[in-house]
Amino acid sequence: MSSMSDRKAELERKKAKLQALREEKDRRRREKEQKDAEEATQRASTAPGHDVRKELDEILSSLGVAPVKDVLSSLSSMTSLTPPQTASPDASLPHTDKSSLPPHGAAKKPNVLQVVSVQSTDIPPKENVTYTKQTQTTTSSVGELRDGYMDDWWRTRKAHATDYYDEYNLNPVLEWEDEFTGDDEDAAFHGKLPPGILPHGLPTVKEVQPAVTAVPQEKKEEEKEKKIRELSNDEKQTIMLSAEFQKFISRAGRVIERALAESVDIYTDYTGGGDSESAQDDKSDARLSLVRTFYDERWSRGRCVTCLDWSPLHPELLLAAYHNSDDAPHEPDGVCLVWNTKFKKTTPEDIFHCQSPVMSATFARFHQNLILGGTYSGQIVLWDNRVQKRTPIQRSPLSSLAHTHPVYCLSVVGSQNAHNLISVSTDGRMCSWSLDMLSQPQETLELQHRQSKAVAVTCLDFPHADVNNFVLGAEDGNVYTGCRHGQRAGVAECVEAHAGPVTSVSCHAAAGTIDMSHLYLTSSVDWSVKLWSLKENKPLYSFEDSSDYVSDARWSPVHPALFATVDAGGKLVLWNLNRDTEVPIASISSEEGAAFNRVSWSAGGSLVAAGDDAGKISLYELAEPRHDEWTKLVYTLQDLRNNQTDEQAERLSITRNALGHSLRLEIMSWLTT
Amino acid sequence: MANEADETVRKLSSHKGVVGVVVVNGEGIPIKSTLDNHVSVQYAGLMGSLIDKAKAVVRDLDPTNDLTFLRIRSKKSEVMVAPDKDFILIVVQTPIE
Repeated sequence: MSSMSDRKAELERKKAKLQALREEKDRRRREKEQKDAEEATQRASTAPGHDVRKELDEILSSLGVAPVKDVLSSLSSMTSLTPPQTASPDASLPHTDKSSLPPHGAAKKPNVLQVVSVQSTDIPPKENVTYTKQTQTTTSSVGELRDGYMDDWWRTRKAHATDYYDEYNLNPVLEWEDEFTGDDEDAAFHGKLPPGILPHGLPTVKEVQPAVTAVPQEKKEEEKEKKIRELSNDEKQTIMLSAEFQKFISRAGRVIERALAESVDIYTDYTGGGDSESAQDDKSDARLSLVRTFYDERWSRGRCVTCLDWSPLHPELLLAAYHNSDDAPHEPDGVCLVWNTKFKKTTPEDIFHCQSPVMSATFARFHQNLILGGTYSGQIVLWDNRVQKRTPIQRSPLSSLAHTHPVYCLSVVGSQNAHNLISVSTDGRMCSWSLDMLSQPQETLELQHRQSKAVAVTCLDFPHADVNNFVLGAEDGNVYTGCRHGQRAGVAECVEAHAGPVTSVSCHAAAGTIDMSHLYLTSSVDWSVKLWSLKENKPLYSFEDSSDYVSDARWSPVHPALFATVDAGGKLVLWNLNRDTEVPIASISSEEGAAFNRVSWSAGGSLVAAGDDAGKISLYELAEPRHDEWTKLVYTLQDLRNNQTDEQAERLSITRNALGHSLRLEIMSWLTT
Repeated sequence: MANEADETVRKLSSHKGVVGVVVVNGEGIPIKSTLDNHVSVQYAGLMGSLIDKAKAVVRDLDPTNDLTFLRIRSKKSEVMVAPDKDFILIVVQTPIE
């Protein structure tokens, strides 16, 4: 209870306090109002203009300008000289104004200039709007206050003002600017005015305008920026799905990639001495060095390189065909990549794929955009690098008319105007195609030996510049020669070449003064490489340096006596017949010991590409060949033949000796018994 | 097909030394970028106007000619610009070494 009463008392106290506060507030307000009213009356009674003028004087004197009083007095004396003008009608005003001005304008010029500059810096344009309006409305009262001077001054001024208003009423479009156009007129007008008050009328109208136009411009910019930010993911997606975008991105991407890969430092400074290249003048052509490797994590990993081919048109392009990968069952089985050896980029130039492993591939020699592939299923597929798709644009049917077995051999033969694609499958069928029509082969030829056994062809080659005769390597280790046309089209001769499947056939490729096109090389899983001549059915020489399956052997396209072999042990070996037939001139092992499956020379003969079974292609460089090799090779071959006959003679004599020996032994034993 | 564009951009941006890749459409709006939004907008705007100017220069010098590529090498980086009719591909790289 006591607490309740306490609280009540407290409340009462607080209320009283509040009341007191309120009263105090009221009192203060009333006092203030009173004060204000007093002040107002005071201001009204005493001349407020005087105060203003004092202030103005102070300001002006601080700026180094004569006080208003002086100026005003001088002005009033001036204007008194020209009283009749004030009464003149408005139509004639500008003219009279002009005519009347020169005398005092000339007298006052230096002063005038000073004054104008000060004013323009002093007064902000915004305030002027209100000020000018007020001067126009309040002049009467002010004028009354500033008797003599103001009357005089305002008489001329008024004339202008009324002039303005009349014109304005008649023609509302007219503005200040229209009235005061001429410079001299302007100056004259300024000269007439007292400093600090009137000329504001002029700049105000002018300066307000740009402010008005500036605002919408800014707004526009803002809108633009907003627009740029607006682009939803859907819109982006639609843009990215458009054909133009696809085209652009593939083109521009390539260009940028090449540019990125260019590591040439154009700011190399040679004047600093730098590190001069160490004298690596090893003149031997035996030097093989790894330049770079081609490998794509997604498209070539774990895929055996089945074929390599260089573009005849763009010598820097290398086409590689790949087998399927066990690691990537969801990726297409067959892949073809085009690598660029010119630009140091790490990704393939083009990517193509199809459903069946590609066993052989070639650039369509006379169509720079087309790439052909022979697949494990027997289909011939055709890709085009102009279209934005990676799948074949054409493929041959899987029918009894064409191939139904793996196509290991593919070759374009002929000339620009008459060429064919030749494909051979392992069931011994050779088809010739026109690139315009892959729906049906133009010709088919069954490759049979002695009209019975189909030749299981694993490799094929045509002698240099020949479209009719060919050399085949077969699974049974034999090498067959034949021709495509004529009465005896098909396989003509058979040579028992190797003890295992023949992995490659390579006809002599270098074109020179002496015809060597009858030479060819074969390699086999029996660890040997053999040199043959079409003119003989015995090997000229057998190279038995390798200690693993020899998977490929290729002649150099420029050096007549040079060829490269690769084996499953991961060794790339270079042979120069002119140098030595028993020891290779160079040998290099693959990185990581992967088994090499294919080797290929670039058209210039300075690069050798070797593809392995893990999907990597290694590019090696070798020194330039010399040019006296041709005649040398002739002697070498002669030597080889001589050696051969010598060997045979020796072997014959050995057997004869052996025979004689055994005969003698027999006779002896017969005699003794 | 869109992933091919993604792949290209990824491929470029994974290149050694590449700082960023921006694809800009004809209106100067970045439609694909590996950079921050405001940086790509900045690149898009600035490069767009530079490309317009460069195109004008090339065409003025020879009316039958057209701009195909622009490289801007600076002390700190190099900007490569591949302009096209409708799009612009911008790649920024810092010098390796």
